[in-house]
Amino acid sequence: MSYYTLVTALPDLPPLAKCKQLPISRIALERRLTMLEEEDLKLLRLAESLYHFGEDQQKNFSDQKRVYQWQSQLQKVHSPEIRRCIELRLEWQSLLAALRQRQQGDKGPEHFFGLGRWTARIRQHWHEPAFGLENALPLLNELQPLMQKGAAGEVEKQINTWLWQNLIQVERSHAFTLETVICFVLRWGIAEKQIRNDADQALEAFESMADALISAPVIKEHIESAFEELS
Amino acid sequence: MDNLILALGWAGLYGPMALGAIGSMIGCSLAGQAAAGALLETETGHGRYIGISAMPSSQSIYGIVVMFALNRELTLGNAPGLAAIGLLCGLALMFSAIYQGRSCASAINVSKIRPEIFGMSLAPAAIVEGFAVFAFIFALVISAGVPA
Repeated sequence: MSYYTLVTALPDLPPLAKCKQLPISRIALERRLTMLEEEDLKLLRLAESLYHFGEDQQKNFSDQKRVYQWQSQLQKVHSPEIRRCIELRLEWQSLLAALRQRQQGDKGPEHFFGLGRWTARIRQHWHEPAFGLENALPLLNELQPLMQKGAAGEVEKQINTWLWQNLIQVERSHAFTLETVICFVLRWGIAEKQIRNDADQALEAFESMADALISAPVIKEHIESAFEELS
Repeated sequence: MDNLILALGWAGLYGPMALGAIGSMIGCSLAGQAAAGALLETETGHGRYIGISAMPSSQSIYGIVVMFALNRELTLGNAPGLAAIGLLCGLALMFSAIYQGRSCASAINVSKIRPEIFGMSLAPAAIVEGFAVFAFIFALVISAGVPA
């Protein structure tokens, strides 16, 4: 199948930091994706479900079971480049899970289950700040203090920026192929999640600001006097 | 053996035209598919996308001209020469048309995002066209040396 029409029918996604609005809605994107053949669409759905897992996966799964599920599903991704992108994403997820588990302190390294190259190393270097991966993963040095501060949103943003760059690299190295399309859709998912999180954060910030304003003594007095006048 | 040599001579005569046309079909199809996708994504400039997608058709025209230049009475003496020139020129035209189609598709894809680089994005396709012109011109020059 030729992907020339589909690739040029996809809009340009702005850089993640500047992405405040999606250039194409999910409905319009799905309409364009109907150009894909059944087999390609299956691969795309699988890649999406693994890359943007969490929203549609079963919550009652243990870490071990989830890792086994990821491993078996990864076998079905026949494109090596896409499989590598997904592995990188799940590796980061495993690293975050390890940081979180260690921070909570209730479970030791023997209870940690993750996917990717670093799992054994994480268990071996459990008590080192960056699991002995400072040189292999410089970004981990920046994430570790953020995790300790509880800035989960910032951690997610930094990982998303890293993953975004990785997807762009793969997308640009494949002109007019299925990999180009899948990388675009995965990037669309990252952008959509970030925009959604930004909107949630903005709403939270607005609500806390409104609460702070209402509970301020001067404002409180004004509100009470207004109610008295009304009654 | 004589029949084989004569058959190769005929292949050399018709080769530039046939191979050039095959290349143009593939090239125009690739660029045309890209142009069709770009039509969905853009509000204006549709004409130029369709125009670019026709760029790889020139190789067919070069093929026709080379075919006429090589056209002469086939003999055992000139058939090998005609086969060599015709088939090699045809292959050059075919590959240049296919790769020009790919270049055009990329040009359409990037100029859809940034219309101001439309002209510059066509440079690779123009360079590929240049090589097709080389193959065409020198096929004409060298065909003069093939005995009638």
